[in-house]
Amino acid sequence: MTAAVTADAVGDGRGGRRHRTVPGWLLGLAGLAGLMALAEVVPRAGLVKKRFLPPFSDMLSALADEAGTGAFWRALLETLRGWAIGLAVATAAGVVLGIAIGGLPLVRAAMSSTIEFLRPIPSVALIPLAVLLYGTTMRSTLLLVVYASFWQVLVQVLYGVRDVDPVARETARSYRFRPLTQVRTVLWPTALPYVMTGFRLAAAVALILEITGELVIGSPGLGKQIAVAQGSNAVASMYALVIVVGLIGVVVNVIVRAVERRVLRWHPSVRREVVS
Amino acid sequence: MNRIRAALAAASVLLLAAACGGGGGSSDASDKGPATVKVSVIPIVDVAPVYLGAQQGFFAEQKLKLQFETAQGGAAIVPAVVSGQVDFGFSNYTSLVLARSKGLPLKVVAPGNASTGADKKDFGGVVVKSGSPIRTAKDLVGKRVAVNTLNNINDTTVRASIRKAGGDAKNVKFTELAFPDMLAALDKGNVDAVQVVEPFLTTALKNGGRLVASNYVDTAPNLTIAAYFTSQKTAASKPDLVKRFAAAMQKSLQYADQNPDAVRKILGTYTKIDPSVASALTLPKFPARVDQAGLQTLENLAVQDGLIKKAPDVKDLLP
Repeated sequence: MTAAVTADAVGDGRGGRRHRTVPGWLLGLAGLAGLMALAEVVPRAGLVKKRFLPPFSDMLSALADEAGTGAFWRALLETLRGWAIGLAVATAAGVVLGIAIGGLPLVRAAMSSTIEFLRPIPSVALIPLAVLLYGTTMRSTLLLVVYASFWQVLVQVLYGVRDVDPVARETARSYRFRPLTQVRTVLWPTALPYVMTGFRLAAAVALILEITGELVIGSPGLGKQIAVAQGSNAVASMYALVIVVGLIGVVVNVIVRAVERRVLRWHPSVRREVVS
Repeated sequence: MNRIRAALAAASVLLLAAACGGGGGSSDASDKGPATVKVSVIPIVDVAPVYLGAQQGFFAEQKLKLQFETAQGGAAIVPAVVSGQVDFGFSNYTSLVLARSKGLPLKVVAPGNASTGADKKDFGGVVVKSGSPIRTAKDLVGKRVAVNTLNNINDTTVRASIRKAGGDAKNVKFTELAFPDMLAALDKGNVDAVQVVEPFLTTALKNGGRLVASNYVDTAPNLTIAAYFTSQKTAASKPDLVKRFAAAMQKSLQYADQNPDAVRKILGTYTKIDPSVASALTLPKFPARVDQAGLQTLENLAVQDGLIKKAPDVKDLLP
């Protein structure tokens, strides 16, 4: 009985491995496991003092403690909500303005220097302004998130609009397509891959700024919890929350990539990926 | 498995509740009467009375409902109060004097916390490594001392401490470091001494640090460190609200001062201080009355150390 079960389990294991030589996710997990082992060994070996970098197992138990509190889940929700709202606003504004500006050569020429001036301003530099406008509420962090991720989308959309095949555009014009129809049938399919790239970049940037805002301003969310843990000398909890933020980053990336694949499933770049 | 499922269920309920609720989530939803006041505080030991008072219903007695908007530093609190984003804020006296001298319209409504007045038994002090040659405040001359904010209450009071010990206070190299970073910097030898407050003081002493001076005690007897304040606009336009807040605050401070165990317990609700540290740390005193002499002392120090050229009138700042 026992032997059969073990054999089965072993067989399963082999079966899983036989599909592909070494699946990518397995390598990824191995890398992660290595990092965890390192984080466990380094403090235990005394290379770093435990009170400054606790072993990984301590972080995990602190994480379990955190997960048992309502404050943690509320903070998680606040962070995700701020991120989602910020990303949605930035994407919508970036797409609409990008098409409007990119579609009108005159406007684009007039705006390009302004965009190049505003875009490199680090969002973090706007923190004093955000606090003056909205205090230490979620809105001041939202301002940072929208500002930072908006440019990612806008610039990509501008490139996308510029990439439209001139023959297709002229053809649409010759057939007297209405402007909105031109946008829908000619401009949008060309710009969509760019929009998705902008969206993916913006999703990551939005998360960074969401956490930064919470951490520095003190608006509600995981970033604030990190700051509270830091101020309470709860070192293990602080690292536990940092781990959670990292995990959110991974999940966000996976989801956004899935969305990208789904939206662009007709696009050659994605189709090729599926075939291989 | 069951526990995980329960945690997930609890989590989803909380998510829903938070999503629907938006802000607040205080316990007293029964009464329609109370006015909501926004209070901006830093989540540290010093503000325990306001949390305790809210828990004990002292603010509800005054028909006030507190909404906490925690900030990470005083730098975010003052503008929020001046612009009217929040009604009341918490800040140390030196910051208030500096802000007032720059013409910001602030008004103190209630005291915040004070030094215990007992040397080497205060909630803040200057700590050195165990093997350090620094023995007294006088030995800090020529050394690197970390404070959380330059040109503020902590470097001026450390200088006062050095002066009291007979040293040349001008000849100290102050470095700005956040409290959470100080012990690591001290350990690595990046600085020779750090001015820390609880819970870092208890942690430092537990890990072999040595307390060389109680800078607040050396500055003035029972020095008041911080206060709750509002803008002059709010003070003038809502005098009744300010009066009720001050009354509730006074009761909270008194209660906190008389019930240290309740204070230690409430710390667990808004900080992540380890319970073993929370039960061991030195609590500040919570005075019920604004200490004008202490404020005057801090103001004189600010002028003496060149933080400001001319001292604003203390009476202008006080209620």
